[in-house]
Formats: sequence, structure tokens, C-alpha cells
Amino acid sequence: MQPFEPVIVAFCCHYCAYTAADMAGSQRLCYPPNVKIVRVPCSGKVDAIHIMTAFQKGVDGVYVAGCLDGDCHFKNGNIRASKRVVYVRRLLEEIGIEPERLEMVKISAGMGERFARIAGQFTEKIRKLGPNPVKRAESPAA
Amino acid sequence: MITAERKPLEEIINCVKPFERILLVGCNECVTVCAAGGRKEVGIVSSALQMAFLKQGKNLQIKEHTLERQCDPEYVEELSTMITGVDAVVSMACGCGVQEVARRFKTVPVFPAVNTKFMGASERQGIWAERCQGCGDCLLGVTGGICPIARCSKQLLNGPCGGSGSGKCEISPDVDCAWHLIWERLKALGLQDRYEQIIPAKDWRTGRGGGPRKIIREDLAE
Amino acid sequence: MTQLTQRFQTREKVLVVGGGIGGMRAALDLAESGKNVVLIDTSNAIGGLMTQLDRTFPTNNCDLCTLSPTMSEENRKRRIHLMPLTRLTGLEGQAGHFTATLVSEPRHIDMSLCTACGQCQRSFPERVNFNPGLDHRAPTCMRYPQLTPQAFSISGASDEEFKKLAHCCPAGAIRPDQTQQQTQMHVASVVLATGADIFDPAQLDYLAYGKDPDVVTSLEYERIVSASGPTKGELVRPSDGRAPKKVAWIQCVGSRGLQKGEASYCSSVCCMFALKEAIVTRERFGDDIETTIFYTDMRTFGKNYEDYLNRGREQYGVRLIRSRPHSIVRQPGDQGLRIAHCLGNESALQEELFDMVVLSTGFCIPKETREMADQLGIALNRHGFVETGQFNPVATSKEGIYVCGMLESPKDIAETMIQASAAACRAASHLPNAAAGSKDENQVYPPELDVSSEAPKVGIFICSCGENIGGLVDVKALAAQAAALPDVTLSEVLDHGCSREAMETIRQAIESRTINRVVIGGCSPRTHEIRFQETLRKAGLNKYLLEIANLRDQTTWVHHDHPAQAAEKAGLLIKAAVSAVKAARALEDQSLPINRDVLVVGGGVSGMTAALRLAGQGFKIYLAERMSVLGGVAALVHRTIEGGDIQAFVRELIQKTMEHKNIQVMTNAFIVDHSGMPGMFKTGLQAGPQMFYRQISHGAVIMATGAMPSRPGHYLLDEHAAVMTQLDADALLEEKPDTVSGWDNVVMVQCVGSRCEENTNCSRLCCQSAVKNALRIVQINPKARIFVLYRDMRTYGFYEDYYRQAREKGVIFIQYDKDTPPRAAASGAHVEITFTDPILARLVSVEADAVLLSTGFVNEDENTEDLAAIFNLARTTGGYLLEDHIKLRPADLAKPGFFVAGTAHAPKNIKESLAQAEAAAARVICLLAKEKINIGAAVAKVDSSKCAGCLICVRACPFDIPYINTDGYSQIDPARCHGCGVCASECPAKAIQLTRFEDNQILAKLNGLLERMVA
Repeated sequence: MQPFEPVIVAFCCHYCAYTAADMAGSQRLCYPPNVKIVRVPCSGKVDAIHIMTAFQKGVDGVYVAGCLDGDCHFKNGNIRASKRVVYVRRLLEEIGIEPERLEMVKISAGMGERFARIAGQFTEKIRKLGPNPVKRAESPAA
Repeated sequence: MITAERKPLEEIINCVKPFERILLVGCNECVTVCAAGGRKEVGIVSSALQMAFLKQGKNLQIKEHTLERQCDPEYVEELSTMITGVDAVVSMACGCGVQEVARRFKTVPVFPAVNTKFMGASERQGIWAERCQGCGDCLLGVTGGICPIARCSKQLLNGPCGGSGSGKCEISPDVDCAWHLIWERLKALGLQDRYEQIIPAKDWRTGRGGGPRKIIREDLAE
Repeated sequence: MTQLTQRFQTREKVLVVGGGIGGMRAALDLAESGKNVVLIDTSNAIGGLMTQLDRTFPTNNCDLCTLSPTMSEENRKRRIHLMPLTRLTGLEGQAGHFTATLVSEPRHIDMSLCTACGQCQRSFPERVNFNPGLDHRAPTCMRYPQLTPQAFSISGASDEEFKKLAHCCPAGAIRPDQTQQQTQMHVASVVLATGADIFDPAQLDYLAYGKDPDVVTSLEYERIVSASGPTKGELVRPSDGRAPKKVAWIQCVGSRGLQKGEASYCSSVCCMFALKEAIVTRERFGDDIETTIFYTDMRTFGKNYEDYLNRGREQYGVRLIRSRPHSIVRQPGDQGLRIAHCLGNESALQEELFDMVVLSTGFCIPKETREMADQLGIALNRHGFVETGQFNPVATSKEGIYVCGMLESPKDIAETMIQASAAACRAASHLPNAAAGSKDENQVYPPELDVSSEAPKVGIFICSCGENIGGLVDVKALAAQAAALPDVTLSEVLDHGCSREAMETIRQAIESRTINRVVIGGCSPRTHEIRFQETLRKAGLNKYLLEIANLRDQTTWVHHDHPAQAAEKAGLLIKAAVSAVKAARALEDQSLPINRDVLVVGGGVSGMTAALRLAGQGFKIYLAERMSVLGGVAALVHRTIEGGDIQAFVRELIQKTMEHKNIQVMTNAFIVDHSGMPGMFKTGLQAGPQMFYRQISHGAVIMATGAMPSRPGHYLLDEHAAVMTQLDADALLEEKPDTVSGWDNVVMVQCVGSRCEENTNCSRLCCQSAVKNALRIVQINPKARIFVLYRDMRTYGFYEDYYRQAREKGVIFIQYDKDTPPRAAASGAHVEITFTDPILARLVSVEADAVLLSTGFVNEDENTEDLAAIFNLARTTGGYLLEDHIKLRPADLAKPGFFVAGTAHAPKNIKESLAQAEAAAARVICLLAKEKINIGAAVAKVDSSKCAGCLICVRACPFDIPYINTDGYSQIDPARCHGCGVCASECPAKAIQLTRFEDNQILAKLNGLLERMVA
């Protein structure tokens, strides 16, 4: 059996987190390839349904990455996103999916190093949690 | 507006456990406004249910649809094209909507996905509070626009009880004393005298005392 | 030669001499602000030196990718008349009314017919130029493929050869009878940007350059590792084609020297250049290659460059040895090149063998440039660079002629860009006012095709980005895999996706294959989306039918440790992009009229200069200063290192600012709120003694908020009377010079509060300040013994002259290590300073009458923090404002509509601050010269049939834009919507969609990434 490689989606706001990811690139800071970035204009744009759909489709972990507190290009989109993440974590818990699989993180545009570090830490955490139970049940043979 | 809150997912899951294909129906009126059963919540609950069953290796088929208003038969009729092949309906409307769907589709079980709570107002984004109990005989004209039936824990009609302190009700410091509010409001209106007028005992036959109620507008009714 | 179109026949134009990065930036800034430009270059194509570089520090980005889009910018065609193979031979008249004489060499190719097929060059490589002839030995300098204009030139062909050339040219473009042409032209002003030459190390025989093939210059090494270079990006030794295992860099070759032919100044960039080459070598060609830099002082004084140095040393293991080797000797057999050097404090010579030696050659001004300067009548300094004023950074000695880049002094790309924009700003002042606005002439695009009813036909173009993507991932296999995805019509690989040629390939493919959706697998959409959008538009497609998969910044650059997984991820990203682009819709950009007023925050020399330059071009300026008087930190300093009177300069600047009718000065002004977007900002201030609130409307902001002189409590500062900062000493030397006469021993300590844990970067100025004050002290008191305790003396550029002068006058410079700093102890009225002398290798104590601490700058105060929060500006870890692009857009902040000048950006001296102030002014004019401002297409749209009128969007919007209209539905004004999408994600009826980021687009992307797992 192949070792478990988690699939992780990071919703990144254009102004901070996505820029930080580019910054990590220009500094050649390695992080696990498990992390796939979906660009959104603001972390406040990430809908609860987008997160739920990702889990339903078998993602092992999701994090929403917005600007630092007080730095949101749109004033408070990151704060709304944080609250929404708490809400969706509760939903996940209700249906027996570890809420730790979803996280809100805050990164400023200049923090390439932080981006890479978070990507690494989150991937490790999910690796320990094992596959998304939805996926696990889906293909018991795998 | 009628307010509602989503039921714990576990309860909904238990209801639909025996079924393979369900129709999840939202309502674009009150429950949308109070963010309990609109198109968006339908999407979220649908996704949560599917995941919950996928975990157990079961692929629950869900059709999603949100009606303009679930408490009117003409709108409910829209479901007739979708109902075929469905084992059960889960309604995210208030109790009125659930019953309207159940009345129209006699052979398909209908389950509520929300708990209907009260008639209320939106205090600010994300917070709703009870304002009316539908007693059928409105007193607001004499109580300064604040309802003692809905907002006094004891439904007192003539002034606060001894449990009122610093403007709060004794049952919780989060609950305003309705009679305190009434007094402040009458004062602001210069109608302190009104406070002295005794409100006679209420005739509850206009409320639930007379059994299920009905309104008939002769000019409109066919 | 092409004839000047009518537009260029007027007097109202600027002549830019030199088509390198500086000349291009100046020309583009002028063009963007609606000015006409004639750009000449002696070479057959523009691009200059930067196009030879593989990557640039400190981001290690590929230059081609950042530069080539600049060169193909569309307005170049409209406002810039390009004249290659042309030189300036004379200039008559005066500012505003010059007549320039230009001489153009024949190209012998008709440009209107040439298709750049390259057949002529393949047949007659000796006669057809497609390279600048930089390397005289090997074919190491094929010119870059993104060439503009894309053409060849022929020189020295005989009649017979011309006949054969004409025969081989399929386009019939060969013109043997073309002759040299002379043109007279009226111009209002001139920008000189001819750059510098590389020092030829062959004249220093001890380095074996020119004799031993494995001794190369840093630029040749750059070509060897470059993807577009002769070895296609393979690192091999020229002598035998084998991969070297030990590479050495020798710094200061041709710089900081007194030997014959060497320049005495510092060439400023070679330390970073060598460091970059060493890092790239380790990163790209393997950890087993040992890289060693032999240096004099590591001069990494630019913004965040010290971090780069630390990264090179710690993360990449680049070996740094402070030593100047005296010879390179080839050892018998295959042993390699022997370098003898000293190691650390040891006096014995070490000998070490290397496979390859790179000479970090400096820069010098070629003879032709000196001749041109003579003809123009402009002054050169003693080193042959163009002389500029201490307080007038880009002005030559002749009014109306400006200079930028290496021609002024050795400097890096970022500083060249600053000077280029500054020169554009100054050159434009001789033309009619910019504030009058220039008519936007719409680029003529073909009409947009309506593809909404067509089935999706996706074209995929995967850029290998030189080695950046293709080096890690097999792009051909990736393209083949993507071709199998549903609805994909075409899947191709491009070498450099952003080159003009590649753009043309994409355009033709869209047209010929009737593609209606495009996916680019390349670099970040943040930097390149706009270029590809332009290509779609040219092909008649709506520009939003595009999706970019960021294969470079977010895959190959960050997963080079996992090539297989990187390839898999690249495949998934392409799949997700294909899936998303199918859900994309044609959209229309929103635009709004522009407000041309400018808010300048900060009334120091940078703020005032930017304000005056803009006011002079007719813009209305609000200048907000939080103190009660103008002047900033410069008002505390008395002398420049050259001896200039700063106080007099600041006084004059304040007077001009206060008197200018277009500038409204607000002192005691605090910014309290801010909203809007570029071209239509609103900022609230509380100003004046009464702190009245007022709100101003403006189109752009220049941040000139400065930095604070640092005052860390080290070395008894503020505890002992004999300890002071260099800034204190500057005042003392001016106001009470007699005090100095009594000083016997003076100790200066460098890097106090800089290059340390609390502030990792170099404060840049302190070395020049120390040298300046040392020279002033010895002038007053020649007997004073002055010890300067330093880590690396960073007297870059011509400041090296003052460093040498100080040593000649007996100032003693002693190096110390970060880990063993000097110690200070009070000793009555004296302070005893103890330090290790590296030559004696023992502790030495000095009883100092005065201790001068070089304390540098900090920018972490609450004020900057508050301002950054209110304006929402990103900052570096040191608190300095983060620019949009560290190399190419150093005066633009990352937030659109915001620009930066002076020490708010990074530590810099007054001259450098003034240059950036003028650059910021130029960049503002580029933004505000337009009539309308494009606000993009991401706006919230309400589907009224779904809206429940619940008010959730009304309450959620951070900008109060939605309202419930008389029909009971939410309405959102697209012109005012900021496009964050919060309403869309909160709407309980799912009645709101944010265009460009609609739910089905996001879900389609998730599908692309995830569907395989469930299906």
C-alpha cells in the first residue's frame, strides 16, 4: 500500500495569501506539493458551500488563507471568513469529520516564509489524521 | 417574520436513513431571511447529508429545490415534476411549509429540517428576537408598541413583577424586562398616565384558546 | 529607415538615448503619460545589459520574464518611435528647443518585409548580427529570443555576399544599397541612458583571463547558466565541457583598485551579482558544487539585501572568504586553477584548487560615451560618469539634458528604474503640462466575437519559462496529458510564453483553430495575466475567457525537492484551469472618470520634492505633514559627504513648497480614514491646532513618510556624555567645531542596531556618515586618532573615494565580527573601547574622548504602523513599505494608486531619496494621465428572481454599496462595487454572484482538482 499523501486545498486571497505564495516561490522555499491553491479575491469570498463541496469531493484538508487582522484589503473579509470557518467546522463535527481538517490562517503579502511553513505544518497535521473519512469509505480497497 | 433554526444534523440523518433518494426543499421567504432554509442552507445541508452517508458507504441521492414560498399550494405544485422517484421529502421551510408539502403529496413522507421558533425581528446581522405570539387581540396600542405577551416572561399585563431589576428580567440578565421598556417608551412619548390604566384580563379565545385559527376574507375568498 | 509619422514631427517630444532597461523605463513612463518619445540605440535591438542576465537578485527571478512584457507594451508602438543602429552626434539649442543630429547605420534589411525567420543568419553567421558581440571567444551570447524589434542586421558584407544573402532570404528583404542616414530632429529634452561597459580583465595579467578558458567574467558565467545561453542552461566548464565541482568568484575585479586600468570606485552591484550566481549554482546545479566568494567587503546594502546574504551563507552554504587573491595559476594535468589566499586572521597563505573561476568585473564608461558627452557639452566626473547635482540627482550640467542608470554611477536595476522614472519626470517638464490630460487613444482591437453559444474549445499553452518550469517538469508530457482532457482543441508548449513571438503564436492559434477559451500554464497571474489578456483581445476573444495555472511560482519553484509530485500537481492545476475556464464568461470592464489631485503624505525632502515636481506639471497637491513644520529628518542633518549644505537646501525647498499655488500644505495633519480606489480615493484628516476633520478627494497617494534615525541603547549611548550618534556628531561639527579640537582618540562603531537580530538589514548610510564625519574631524583636528570599527565598509559607488581619502589621512579602519563586537566601559570622562585587532589577533583598548555610533534607521514606530493600517499597505519585516516589484517597480507600492519615495521605502541618502521622489511623481503622472480608470470586471451581480430582499448583503458589504431598491430587490452599483465577494458568499438565497469568481467557476476548479478521487 502506498503511503498516504493528503490532498489539500488552500483558498488564498489575492492580495495577501496568494501574493505570499508567490513570494515563497521567488524565495524558492519548499513546501509539500500536496497543497493546491485556489485564488479568490478575498478570503471573505470563500463560501461555506465551497468548503463543504471540497470535502464532499474527497479533499483531506482545507485551509482558508486571508490577510492579517486589520490588513484586509476589503476591511473585514478575513474576519468574516474566520467566523465562517468556525461555522463549517461545527458542521463537519456534526457529521463526524474531524474539524481540524479545516483551518483559517492569516498571512500578509510579504510572508513567503510563513506561507511555506503553514503549508508544511498543515500537511503534516492532515497526514497524521489520515484520509478524509468520506473518501475512506468510498474506496475501501485503495 | 417567522424564524427557524436548522435541526441538529444527526436528527435529520436519522429521519432519512431508510431512504435512497430524497428531495430537499427550501423556501425563499422567512427562512431565507433568517438564514435557516434558503437556497444556500439547502446546499450546505445537502452536502452535509451526502457526506454523512458517504462515510457509511451509502450514496444518498439528493435533489435540491427552493420554492418561492412553501406555504402556498401554487408554489408547492412546482414540486410535482420532481417528486417522482423520490422516497422522502426534507423541507427546510417553517412548519407551515412542511405541512403544505405533506398535504399536497400524500404518499411521500415529509420531514422537517428546521425547528420553527417564533415570529420575530432582526435585531442586527445574524441576531433575531421574538416579538409576537399571535394572540389575536393586539395590545400594542396601549403598551407603547412593546408587547408584554411576547416579551414578558410571565406575560403580565399590568406592570412588572418583583423580579425586574435594573431593567432586566430575573430569568436572565440578557432579557430586557418588557415592562421596563414599556415604561421608558411611554415616558418618552409623554404618556405616563397610560401606565396607570389597568388592562383587563385578556380574552384568550382569540389566541390558541379557541383551537386552530383561520382567517377568511369574504371579498377575496372564492 | 522608417519615416517619422506626423506625431513625431512636432517639437514636443523627448529624445531617449540608449535602449537598455533605464532608457526603456524612461521612454515607457513618458509614453504612458502621453508624451512622444524617440528612443535610439546603437545596437540592432533594444534591451541592453539586463537581457543578458539569467536571473536577478534578490528574488532570483528570470529577467526575460519580467523584462520582455515591458518591452512589448502596446503604447510603445503608439508613442515611442524606435530607431535602432542610431547614435546622437550633436545637439544644438537649449532646453525646450533642441535640435538633435542622429546618425543611423544601414541595416541592409527592409524591416517591413523581414519575417525574422533567421535564414540569413544561419547561412552567413559572420555577416548577420543577432547578438551584441559581448563574448569575443565563444558563441555564448545568442541574443535573447524575446527581441524587440525582432530583426537582424547585416554589416561588412561584400557585394558577392550580398548577392548570396539576397538569394537565401525568402522574404526578399535584403537591401545592399542602404547607406548611413543623418537626421535632424527637434526635441524638447533629452534623457541619456547609454549605460556602462564591463571592465575588460584581460589587462590584469595575473588573473589569467583571456589565457585560460575556465576563467570567465560574471556576465559570461551568467550566459553559461542561462536557459537561453549557448549551453541551453547546462553548467559546463568551457575548457572541457565537464560540470565543475568547485567554482570561485573573485570580487572587485577592475573596481576599488589602483592598478593600471582599474577603477578606484566601487561598482556597487558585483557583491550581489556574485552572491546570486553562487546561490543559483547551488540551487540549480546541485549542492555538491562548492561555491566560494573571495571578497573585500560584502556590500549588500540595498533593501533586504542583507537577508539575501544571510540566506546565501546559511541556507545555500555559499562560502565567503575575506581575501583578495593575487593570482590564478593553471596547475599541470587536470588539477584545475590554483588560487592563493588568506583565511580569516591567519597570516599564512592557503592554496586551493578550483575548476572554474568567475571574475566579478566592474563597470566603466566607454570612450564613445565620453565623446558624446563632449559634443553635448555636459560635465563628467573624474571617473568619466555623468556629473549630477548633490540635490539634483538626474540633472546633468546642461539644462534639459537628464541622465539615468549606470551612466550616472554604477547601480543595480531597481535604482536604475528609479532614476529612469525620475529622468522621465524631469524631461517631461519641458513639454506641455501633463495635468491637462492626454486623450486616450484606444488600442485598435478587432471586434469581440460572441462565443457564448459555442461549445467550449480550449487552447492550452504551457510555458517552459526557460528552465524555470521546463527544468523540473517535462512540459511536453504535460501538454500531451492535457491534450486528452475533454473540450481541449489544442495543447502546446512555449519556450518563453511571454515573448512577443509566443504571444503571436497564441494569437494565431486562437484564430486559426477557432479556440474560444485559453489556459496558460506559466507564472503568476498577478504579474502576467494582463499580457495574456491583451493577446486574447487581439485575437478577438474577450479577455476574461482566460485562466492561468501558476506552474512556476507555486509549483516548480517550491517543489524542486519533489519533481515527480511537482509534475503531478502541474497536471492537476492545468486540469483545474481547463475545468474553470469552461465556466468563464465574457465580461466587460467597468471604468470611471479619474480625479487628478494627489495626496502626498510626509513633508520631508522626498514629499516636498515629489509635490513640487507634480505641482510644476499642473497637478493639485495636498501635502500632509504630521509635525508642525516641514523638513523631516533632513532638517536635522547639516552636510552631505561631498560637503553640500543640507540646511540651506531644505530651507529653499520649504519656501518653494509653501509658495507654490498648486500645493496645499497641511501641518499637524493626521490621517484618520481612507477609502476608494485608484483615481478616486477619499482620505480623512485631522489637521491644524484645532484638529478639524476634513475629507479630501484625490486620485493617487505618494507615501513619503520617512524613517526614524535609530537610537538603540548600546555602548553607553545616552548614559555617557562622550557617546553620541553620527547624527549628533554632525550637528556638533557644524555648531561647535571647537569641541573636536580637544579630541585625541575617537572611536566610531559601525552597524550599531543594524545587521543584527533586532534589525537584520543594513542601514546603507552609516558607512558614508562615518567616513564623512571622520574627514571633518581630521580637517579640524589633524592630530586626532580615529578608529573606525566596522564589519564591512559599504562605501559603494563614488563614496569609495572618500573612504580612500580617510585612510590616506590616517583614519584607522579595523574590522570586527558580528559575534565579537567591541565593548564599551565608562572611564571617567572617557570611554574605554575594547576590540579585537584581527591583524595582531589580540584585544586592544582605546581610551576614547568621543565614541561615535553609526546607528542607521528604523521604521517600526506606531505612526507608520497606523498609516499602514489605515491605507492598508503591506510592509517588510523591518517596517518599510513593500513595493510592487523590487526590481522593476521600486516606486510603486503593491497597492494600486500608491507610490513611495524616500526612506519610507528603505534607508537611503538625500540624493537617492530625491531621485525616488521624482520617480514617484513620474509614476503618478502615468496613472493620472488617463481619462478614465479601469476598475476591472469583478463585480457583484444580483439575480432579482432569487433575491429575498433579506438585507444580509446590505449589512455585510464593507463599503455600504448594496441597497434594496423600490422593487424590493438588492441592487449593487457595479461602478462602486469593490469586488470582494463577501455579499455573494453570505447571500442566503444564492442570488448574488461575483463575476470572474462565480460559484460555478470555483466549483469547476475544485472539480478539476478533486474529481478523480471520487469518480
